[in-house]
Amino acid sequence: MARRETFQCTVITPERQVLDCEAKFVAFPAHDGEFGVLVNRAPLVCKLGIGLLRIETANDRHVMMVDEGFAQVVDNRLTILTESTAHAEDLDAAVVEQSRVEARAMRVPDEAGYRARSKAIQRAQVQLRLVRTEGSKEKA
Amino acid sequence: MANRKVLLKRRKTARNICKITRTMQLIATARFQAAFKRAMGTKPYVEKLAELVANLSESAEGVDHPLLQTQPNVKRSSLLILTSMRGLCGGYNANVLRAAAAHLDEQSAHGIDTDVHMIGKKGIAFFQFLKRPMAKQTAQVSDAPSFEDVEPIANEWMDRLTRGEIATVHVAYMRFVSAGQQRAEVMQLLPLACDVDSGSKKAETSRRVEYEFSPAPEALLNELLPATVRVRLFQCFTEAVVSEQIARMVAMKAATDAATDMIKSLTRRYNRARQTYITMELLDIVGGANALE
Repeated sequence: MARRETFQCTVITPERQVLDCEAKFVAFPAHDGEFGVLVNRAPLVCKLGIGLLRIETANDRHVMMVDEGFAQVVDNRLTILTESTAHAEDLDAAVVEQSRVEARAMRVPDEAGYRARSKAIQRAQVQLRLVRTEGSKEKA
Repeated sequence: MANRKVLLKRRKTARNICKITRTMQLIATARFQAAFKRAMGTKPYVEKLAELVANLSESAEGVDHPLLQTQPNVKRSSLLILTSMRGLCGGYNANVLRAAAAHLDEQSAHGIDTDVHMIGKKGIAFFQFLKRPMAKQTAQVSDAPSFEDVEPIANEWMDRLTRGEIATVHVAYMRFVSAGQQRAEVMQLLPLACDVDSGSKKAETSRRVEYEFSPAPEALLNELLPATVRVRLFQCFTEAVVSEQIARMVAMKAATDAATDMIKSLTRRYNRARQTYITMELLDIVGGANALE
């Protein structure tokens, strides 16, 4: 039997299944740093942070932003559960830049406010990175 | 003569109404299919989340999360009522509101104050008519509820629950059982207690997998439970929309059928009146001719 080279990768949000494909390599943003998954990985349950999810299939590459959630690996199946995803083509650089400015200007009355502010800033920064790296490629 | 004209006029009215209700039925059918697809879209997420919770509660012994605790001394609870923005959907709103009112009466019999958060214009109008208090009202309901709209509602309740302001949160909505069956139901959203137990039972039957957890299972569970609450509430919203469209479809189908029947009987009556008139006229002419002879 030929060696298995790919594993199933699904990205699910509460609203729909965003992606279901055979991937060669996936890098997802865990809560404490980036996590890479190759075929035959040991079972894992992990909390996600805010960042870019990169999926490499045999002849394609997907990049999207995930905004917290969970990842599960079992039996060569990777499931990404997240509450929202965003693709480069959905985002507008000017709008993202604006939201970053707004996030920076957020008032911090207490600890919860501080957490909300840093999350909003992080979110905007990730979106900006997504637009800058991926948006330009699509236009070209 | 006058009778025939009246019948014609009535038949025209019935025809117009029939056209309108048939169109509404078709629109409801189209909307139902879209809503149904969306509602089914949440399924994989819900199932996966339940699976994760089950896996984790096995690994994390003695789960003690504020969202799971019942607080018998807190005499305050919340009720979210999901009704529609538009009418003409048969008993949809009436059934939900009846279930909600029964729940409210039961709660007050136990000496528990309930804050009502009413969603949908129809429910607001009904409660205003009954002069029942509502803590919060949202008139607008979207046909396609988005997760971002629902999330803050769930978060607010979880905050209030952990602060000990409210003991329970219930949601009154029309549950979508199947395309042929919907049930008005009051579901307990918080605390989550019963749900985790059933989840872990399911996990026992499936084979055990030794997972690597990051962070520790307890910490993960703390994140998973709020996510479960959020998605459950979201599911209520999507299911309510599907049920509403089904109710409207059924109501409009009944209205179209009734209008078709009415057109039929009016046509029959009109024809009979016309014949009677002709016969009468003939008799008049014949009678006149006979009189001349």
